[in-house]
Amino acid sequence: MNTVRVASPLRSYTAGAAEVTASGATIAELLAGLERAHPGIRFRMIDEQDRIRPHIRIFIGRREVKRLDEPLRTSDEVHLICALSGG
Amino acid sequence: MNLSASERERYSRHLLLPEIGAAGQARLKAARVLVVGAGGLGSPASLYLAAAGVGTLGIVDHDRVDLSNLQRQLLFDTGQIGASKALAAQTRLRALNPQIDVIAHDLELCADNAMDLLREYDYVLDGSDRLATRYLVNDACVLLKRTLISAAIHRFEGQAMCYVPDRGPCYRCLFPKSAEGAVPNCAEAGVLGVLPGVLGALQATEAIKLILGLGAPLVGRLLTYDALAMQWREFHFARREDCAVCGTNPTIASLQHGVEACGANSTDKSARLTPRQLRSLIDRAASHGTACTVVDVREPREFAAGHLADSVNIPLADLPRRWAEIPARVPLVFLCRSGRRSLAARELAARAGFEQATDLDGGLLAWAVVIEPEMTVAPFE
Repeated sequence: MNTVRVASPLRSYTAGAAEVTASGATIAELLAGLERAHPGIRFRMIDEQDRIRPHIRIFIGRREVKRLDEPLRTSDEVHLICALSGG
Repeated sequence: MNLSASERERYSRHLLLPEIGAAGQARLKAARVLVVGAGGLGSPASLYLAAAGVGTLGIVDHDRVDLSNLQRQLLFDTGQIGASKALAAQTRLRALNPQIDVIAHDLELCADNAMDLLREYDYVLDGSDRLATRYLVNDACVLLKRTLISAAIHRFEGQAMCYVPDRGPCYRCLFPKSAEGAVPNCAEAGVLGVLPGVLGALQATEAIKLILGLGAPLVGRLLTYDALAMQWREFHFARREDCAVCGTNPTIASLQHGVEACGANSTDKSARLTPRQLRSLIDRAASHGTACTVVDVREPREFAAGHLADSVNIPLADLPRRWAEIPARVPLVFLCRSGRRSLAARELAARAGFEQATDLDGGLLAWAVVIEPEMTVAPFE
């Protein structure tokens, strides 16, 4: 299982949890697993053309995810980052 | 640039640092820094920049001080409620350090004025509370080759990054496009008062480091702060070859009007409904047996906590795939918590061909004040 850190604006889908777990051999599989556990969260991050939405970034450790087919290791920590706007 | 005896005393703790000394203090004195937004971030940032002796400090803000600001906006006090934030900030900062030049820009930053304004400064701190302004400021900094120190906050979290011309990626390299309405601001979501104190001081730190040429600024690095877990994290991002403004073939060569400019967008704000107008519209539709569609674009959790009777819930992010659920050629009203997401919904609807769409000005918060005080309006998370 991978640890997934969830940005504050997305936590309405995780019952407020800042950290959840999911698994997958790729980011796409992990997102599918997240969607099963937290319905609706995937569409907040990924559009109909399977592109990461422009106000969402996904990181594996410190490294930015560019493609949903990026492989995952079980030790990888995934971070779901959302652009914040408050000032 | 020589320091006076008074300056030597004021900045003595800087002068003691070999990394700064008189030469560094002179660089601070020669620096021109603009702070966009005299709010939660702009308050601590500008206070520390003034204290540090930044020679020319500009403050941009068009708002008035209100009571809810005082939970976190340390530039102001109770006696200044109703005052211009830019002018009140100028007064406070001049009192802190009369030996610098503080310029108040009491205006709303937009595509028509941003280039001329930012051109007068070398460094820009973005403490605005709208995504549209963030993109405007970023684009202007890239086009003008100005250094940008950007930070943003939400509830208990913050994030910060720096753009240095020709050295690293810009804000659009990280978040390519604005998603206004999908990201809540402090008025909608709430914020821990001390949170911008941390991030604003961080912005001032980065600005001072960049002015002095010290240390490693947040170039190509997104720093995130989780106040509840008391954790800092760092993420790396690179310049995008296809970045619309700083990429190899930029498509943004000038600041753009529309959603990403001027605090307004292409939707005519004068066509928004007041709560009483919406009440009348709904009542007329009911009494005449005609149709009127009210779409609540908040998240399902918010809708469940309290909503208008006969409104349907289609979250903003879901709209593009659920247009079929909305009758065409029928008056269509969007609403949300405060009126921000509903405005974005109108933009989307207009592009999808719904020409009669309007929205509720001030959202359900305004509705609860005017029409239905007993309504529960959930916070936006």
